[in-house]
Amino acid sequence: MKCSIEGNHVKAFGKAIHALARIGEDLWLDPLEKGLALRAVNSAHSAYACFLFSPLFFQHYSPRLSTQTLGTPVKCQLAMKSILPLFRCLATIERNVNRCEISISSDENWVVFQFYCRHGIIKTHNLSFQESEALQAVFPTNLCPNVLKAQAKLLGDIARHFPTSQEEVTLAISPVRVTLKNYYEEECDRAMYTEMSLHPDEFDYYQVGIDSHITFCLKELRGLLSFAESHGLPVCVHFGPSGKPVSFSLDDMPLTATVVLATLEERTSDPPSQTGPAQTGPTYRWVPRMCPPYPVHPPSTVHRPPCGGAPSAPASASPAAHDGPHESPVLAEDRVLSSQASPVFSAAFHLRKLLDLQNPSPPWEEAVPTHNTDAEAAAAAATATTPSNNQTTAIEDMEAESICATTKMAANTIPATPLAAKVMRP
Amino acid sequence: MPLSTESQPGDEQYVLVATLDNVRNLSNILKAITFKDHAIFNATRNGLKVTVEDSKCLQANAFIQAEIFQEFVMKEDSVGFQINLTVLLDCLTIFGGSTVPGVTTALRMCYSGYGFPLTLFLEEGGVVTVCKINTQEPEEPIDFDFCSTDVTNKVILQSDSLREAFSELDMTSEILQITMSPCQPFFRLSTFGNSGNAHYDYPKDSDMMELFQCTTTQTNKYKMSLLKPSTKALALSCKVSVRTDSRGFLSLQYLVRNDDGQICFVEYFCSPDEEVDEES
Repeated sequence: MKCSIEGNHVKAFGKAIHALARIGEDLWLDPLEKGLALRAVNSAHSAYACFLFSPLFFQHYSPRLSTQTLGTPVKCQLAMKSILPLFRCLATIERNVNRCEISISSDENWVVFQFYCRHGIIKTHNLSFQESEALQAVFPTNLCPNVLKAQAKLLGDIARHFPTSQEEVTLAISPVRVTLKNYYEEECDRAMYTEMSLHPDEFDYYQVGIDSHITFCLKELRGLLSFAESHGLPVCVHFGPSGKPVSFSLDDMPLTATVVLATLEERTSDPPSQTGPAQTGPTYRWVPRMCPPYPVHPPSTVHRPPCGGAPSAPASASPAAHDGPHESPVLAEDRVLSSQASPVFSAAFHLRKLLDLQNPSPPWEEAVPTHNTDAEAAAAAATATTPSNNQTTAIEDMEAESICATTKMAANTIPATPLAAKVMRP
Repeated sequence: MPLSTESQPGDEQYVLVATLDNVRNLSNILKAITFKDHAIFNATRNGLKVTVEDSKCLQANAFIQAEIFQEFVMKEDSVGFQINLTVLLDCLTIFGGSTVPGVTTALRMCYSGYGFPLTLFLEEGGVVTVCKINTQEPEEPIDFDFCSTDVTNKVILQSDSLREAFSELDMTSEILQITMSPCQPFFRLSTFGNSGNAHYDYPKDSDMMELFQCTTTQTNKYKMSLLKPSTKALALSCKVSVRTDSRGFLSLQYLVRNDDGQICFVEYFCSPDEEVDEES
């Protein structure tokens, strides 16, 4: 793999590494055709993060060297403590570094980071790595009944209310409010309890499929929040009942990032019977979505009316319906298999997105129009309804970050053990 | 003023009298070479030379010329003693490190000769402190025998660029390797640490490079632990000259500008790290 990052992007790259360093002690570099994926997982496998930099982020990017025509590009695992010092001082990088070139040489087992700085100074770091399999979390965000989208500043402000030593927080959602409070395993007389409530209006998008409360580790999330704030990007949160993982993702044109955290399983929750995708218990009334409910911006369909059967809704800014499957006929050769056999995505569709300068509203939705169009009503009603569109084609709207959160449900049995999101090493 | 820069009655006993209106002009320079407790002071009519050594492989010298002092009187040609540098610095900075503009601490340093303590009179805002520090028999500083005539490679760099490199050096590396060459990579600092190696290359036409005179390609290794203290001097300086001789000995000379804009020098000599089975 060989790539070159220019100017300001070097700082963004460094910031991503800082965010990943909050999660785990190792960094996985995975050069894919669709971009360079940087991933980390914590030792308990309860937190996973992935930053995917599309080829647009780089001055130039080639996942494999010209000498390496066969086989997959080399994937490597680096110790975080060898790579973090290279990007430790972001202010200095911003000031001094003009360009950063990264190359992976499989013959010598080095990853080479070369910084071209001002005054002609060149810093070369040769870091040894271990070849490894790709790391990937399997988490079907499109099955999540609850979706929130908020500006990074809102989430950052929320996180700031909790002391940095606070490990875990509980997020409870209902149609009328979202509550966050700190979580202590045992009752503590001397602890300070903090609780805050937010009105659905504070969010860019608010969807409640099922009232739930989830407890997850805030510390591991702070890296992503800090990254999102520095870039002013909104963050999407996908989750379900307690015990199921929660995913935080952001999407900026050249890069996407996801953090998946395990949530504490409440003892009173429904027994986990995993027989299929629409899982976990009789209270669930939603079924697998065809398109992922996270920020896909299909500019061509922003103002389309919902597809079939849904009550007509004002073509309002928030959750406009998207009938992806009908909308973008995909040629067979456009489909690109992701490296982990997760559903394909359409290159042509994404290219259209690039060319379309429309500013899309939060909507990503889906093949379940009733959900979207009544988002506010749904928030009040708090029920998930069956979709009117059962086509199986649609996954072509999967964003590049699908590599991080695939819809490979069949093989996915979400474990019942607390704090254990599934991490697959295919 | 309680401390006058003119000779006081009773000064006849002193072999050395040096006064400074701003003690920081001395203390700052001494901080740049404080990596060991003891220092050898050598005063001549030209000024003061303070030497600190480490394990016979590293020597740091600070030169404060007589012109820096408001008064510098020497009754003998040369006067030398050894003193605890940490204690001396504590005394010189006894009024604290505040940098309120216009307020400086004045110093009067007096030495009566062999066997006598070094006496310091420090004054700030009308308050006077007197310190007497015991002196010891001075050891002979090592003569690294570094001649300018034997210098094979020399570069002069602006300190800013080198400062950054030194602050980022991989401390898990035991050695710092310096390569100087008339061709690529010109001037290179390398470390070999636990996670891999790193190289900092300075091209000869960089605008940070004030002088580049390299005749032969030389690569030498120096113990990181010995060179790390030199970063203090680097932090104070505006320019640094890096020279190596045919034996691989390293000379680092730092040009330091004090608060009043006057120039002092700090110099580090370091012997190369030789492996038993390798020639230097």
